[in-house]
Amino acid sequence: MTEEKKPEERKKRRTATEAAASIGPMVKAMITDVQKAREEGKPIAFTFIACAYDEIIRAMDIVPSWVENYAGICGAKRDAQRFLERAESLNFSRSLCTYALCGLGFDSWREELGEMPPDAPWGGQVKPTVMLGSGQILCDPRNKWFQAAQHYMPDVPVYDVSLPYPAYADDYDFHETEGYYVKHIVEQLRGLIDFLEEQTGHKMDWARLEELVDLVDRTYDLIVDTYDLRRAIPTPMGTGDAMNTMVPIQFMMATQQAYDFFTNLNAELKDKIARKEGVIEDEKYRLIWGGGLPSWFALGDFNYFNSKGAVFPVETTYRTLESTRDFDIDLKKIKDPLEHIAWRWVKTWTYWYDKARKRPGSHPDVERLIQYIEDFKIDGIVMHEAFSCRSWHVGLIWQLNHLKKIYRDMPSLILESDIIDISSYNEADTRARIDAFIDTLEAVKDR
Amino acid sequence: MKSQYFAGVDIGSTMTKVVIMDQTTLTPVIGPTGPEHRKLANRVMEEALAKAKLSFDEITYVVATGYGRINVPFADKQITEISCHARGVGHLLPDARTVIDIGGQDSKGIKLKAGRVVDFVMNDKCAAGTGRFLEVTAEGLGVSLEDMGRLSLEAKNRVEISNTCTVFAAQEVVARLSEGVALPDIIAGLHEAIATRIYGMVRRLKIEREVALTGGGAKNIGLVKALEAKLGFPALLPPEPLLTGAIGAALLGRDIVQEAAEKGETLVRSERRLTEASIFT
Amino acid sequence: MSAENSTGGLAIVDKYYQGYGSRARELKKQGKQIMGYLCAFTPVEIITAAGFVPFRIKGDVNEPITKADTEMETIVCPLVRSWFDMSLKGKYEFLDGLVISHACDSMARSKDIWKYTLGLPYFHFIDTSHAIDDSSLDFFVSILGTFRKSLGGFIGQEISDESLAQAIRVYNENRQRIWDLYELRKSDPPLLSGAEMTRVLVAAMGLPVQESIKLLEGVITEVKQRQPAVGAKLPRIMVVGAEVDDAAFIELIEDAGASVVTDDLCPGGREYRAFVKTEGDPVAAIAERYLRGIMCGRSYVEQKGTYPEYLEQRFGHIARAAKEYNVDGIVLYIYKYCDPFGFEVPAMKSYLEAQGIQVLYLEDEYSMSTVGRLRTRIQAFLEMLGTR
Repeated sequence: MTEEKKPEERKKRRTATEAAASIGPMVKAMITDVQKAREEGKPIAFTFIACAYDEIIRAMDIVPSWVENYAGICGAKRDAQRFLERAESLNFSRSLCTYALCGLGFDSWREELGEMPPDAPWGGQVKPTVMLGSGQILCDPRNKWFQAAQHYMPDVPVYDVSLPYPAYADDYDFHETEGYYVKHIVEQLRGLIDFLEEQTGHKMDWARLEELVDLVDRTYDLIVDTYDLRRAIPTPMGTGDAMNTMVPIQFMMATQQAYDFFTNLNAELKDKIARKEGVIEDEKYRLIWGGGLPSWFALGDFNYFNSKGAVFPVETTYRTLESTRDFDIDLKKIKDPLEHIAWRWVKTWTYWYDKARKRPGSHPDVERLIQYIEDFKIDGIVMHEAFSCRSWHVGLIWQLNHLKKIYRDMPSLILESDIIDISSYNEADTRARIDAFIDTLEAVKDR
Repeated sequence: MKSQYFAGVDIGSTMTKVVIMDQTTLTPVIGPTGPEHRKLANRVMEEALAKAKLSFDEITYVVATGYGRINVPFADKQITEISCHARGVGHLLPDARTVIDIGGQDSKGIKLKAGRVVDFVMNDKCAAGTGRFLEVTAEGLGVSLEDMGRLSLEAKNRVEISNTCTVFAAQEVVARLSEGVALPDIIAGLHEAIATRIYGMVRRLKIEREVALTGGGAKNIGLVKALEAKLGFPALLPPEPLLTGAIGAALLGRDIVQEAAEKGETLVRSERRLTEASIFT
Repeated sequence: MSAENSTGGLAIVDKYYQGYGSRARELKKQGKQIMGYLCAFTPVEIITAAGFVPFRIKGDVNEPITKADTEMETIVCPLVRSWFDMSLKGKYEFLDGLVISHACDSMARSKDIWKYTLGLPYFHFIDTSHAIDDSSLDFFVSILGTFRKSLGGFIGQEISDESLAQAIRVYNENRQRIWDLYELRKSDPPLLSGAEMTRVLVAAMGLPVQESIKLLEGVITEVKQRQPAVGAKLPRIMVVGAEVDDAAFIELIEDAGASVVTDDLCPGGREYRAFVKTEGDPVAAIAERYLRGIMCGRSYVEQKGTYPEYLEQRFGHIARAAKEYNVDGIVLYIYKYCDPFGFEVPAMKSYLEAQGIQVLYLEDEYSMSTVGRLRTRIQAFLEMLGTR
């Protein structure tokens, strides 16, 4: 049987920082490491980003294989369509999460062939030892994807970690619920460790875990400090680069490499600021990427914004961390590493709640936008509505409406496409919308 | 015993097909489907009767099928085109186990055994993957639909059409044309795009050899070649790909009459008339 | 005449089905408080124990979604969009509050849109676990404790164990009546059509539970008096999917020449299968029933045993119901943009087919204009079943 099309060759995207430019080879090495681990018989876990188990898998010496990353790579190489189509032919609807469809299409194909699908991007995604799903937050596919994947890999066990966080509410004080959230999360993480010990034979190194928990605290704080440097005018780094530097945040957390990466980026940004070197020389509009995952096949659109004098000093996407120093509890006093992780988790996701309570009618998601707009001197908001992902892309319209209601009017743009399904993307149409948005910014500035 | 005649009427979205058969011979007539299905079904039926030198009263049983099957007032029974294609292909190409039917408004895949449906898939939600996709894009290219197949064979460097949405794809091909890409290369890209959609859908059935192609799409050599490349083996084509549904309908009518005779049952017939239906009947 | 003092059956069903919400509107005028909710994962016992009439928001397949799109993304499942559209259009203007349970992303991620756009006096989000293991159950008990306290705060009075126990008993009775009615679908042909059953279920979910019980009793009496129909036997169909709160789709199947005899749907077989235990702590009993009793794609069932055993764990109840109701084929009816059910399709379909059950998988958009497009597929499926 002949199979589908070859990826389209594309020009390399321009980055502003050296650090962002170094990400490509890092990701490639990460994929190669998983392939090597498979050959060496090391335990490999399919993992999702933002699942609070970074320290645990690292301390147990289990090799993570980040499935969203691999799907993103297929998308960025414009080679996801054949895997999406394959998933569709297995009876998965094309309206479902396309990361999951890409992964399912890939995994089922690999299992059917008994080897990697032809021309698999970067050598392909290997079969894992275990799959670590996550119930409760972020998205439904996190507990459905791996369950569905088992249909093609019935011998690979799944553990589903329930990781909720309190909802923002007016009808009760969420602080009263923090205790039972933490208790539940600790039990879930303990269950994960038991599962991993049983399935892989690797024992938890508790001393190592404690060290890594501390390393993650420090990395969080360092990232916040580093990203805050982007407040400078001109900004030394934009969201286009942040879509690269999300790699150490999401896929390398709890490693020295991630910490070192941000140490270097921090130095590079300070150096640029000292030399007044910005993403673009003549910054006309400062924008916030206010919601939505990027279209991985169209990151070049950030360069297009730049060509129109617009920069993105800040984004909400992939900033799934806050400064632990600003928490209303002293994390350092929580000695049990699992409790420490659970409290950090709860405090991170509820970080904006008390701030939102102070502004009449506000809401944490909107409050965060307002804070960033002020801190980073923002002129306009851009969001992206990816059709296949409900978790990050429902509520964007409302957030914009609400922001304008409780704060102030501001030019905004919602792009519509997908994370990796390029058939939903129309370059001419996207750029026409960007042009019109720039015209609006111009008009508002002249007023 | 006097001869029995069976009629199959297939009202597709663009063409209406009628077949009259006795035990052995076929009389086919094909005409376009107008906005008024009923009038047209009558006209095509009359034409077929004239060709077969029969009067309507001599027809034993009429089965209507296709998208407009409910608008055939003179039919004794309505049966979906899925069952009819399976029956028709089972008769014409007994080795076929899978049918891929590409019509004007929908496309379908059918798995069959002894002329009977065992599983099927159908797309009518989206124009991509149906004849409509080629119709819309052909218009954008200023090429007649009939010439698309032949032209695509001249392609030297097939282009990728990344948009599966028909509206976007139509824009994309016009853009490619203005970039100076050769027409055959674009058309070949379109065939590839539609073949990918259809193959992806039909693959849900676990395709078994032999595969028969039917419907208007099977008359497009470029699309047939693109599908065969996906399948990895040659497909079977009936002598007239537009007629399998009507033939199947006539055969199913014959089956019904025979079964009733075997069981000694009296067949319930519709109160059929070939007079032009008045509005609101 | 209200349902309260009526023994009539299907005529009242039609009245409340056609004029969905009319009874709640009447009750509101009489001074009752009405609490809206979205899905089967909302513990109506707690709402009832607090003195509210729980009212399930319903969509309308005949009403094009227009107003919702200015606030809610079109990537939300079309059912939730229709619910929201109907709410924005003032169809449920009598609500005093709204409770949304964390059933799926389409509901959970749109909760703030509902809350801030409708601006009702009361709003609560129940953070229902996806996982159903022991720790998740303990957690869910705490979550429901928070809900109980919040609702008690709203009415200015604690919700007592006694009122909860009473609500549990009544809802269990309601569930039993629904099963009694399902029982009448087992004969061939069934005494009650699938479309009638859907209308009953929908009418009932808009009534106070006591009135729902009376309504069901009236329907049962009426249906039992029916003479079994004679004539050609029709294929017996089971419909499986997320939520079907409109009879149009069931009518489409039955118009094509079939009887819909059972389902795994909400409202329907999935929702009413499990009862709440009447002993022990009422909140713990409610938590267990909602978390583990409703077998929905949105919940994560931990694997026990081999993979085939796991499929049995997840879908065995569907195959058993198909057998119990002597089903000829299953229509798997899934909405576009539904991640919880969409990801189940290949596994569920292959499991059911391995049990010898024919399955027709349909993806749809909760709109009459798209329901019509499914007609040919349904007819072909029935033809296929007829020739086996």
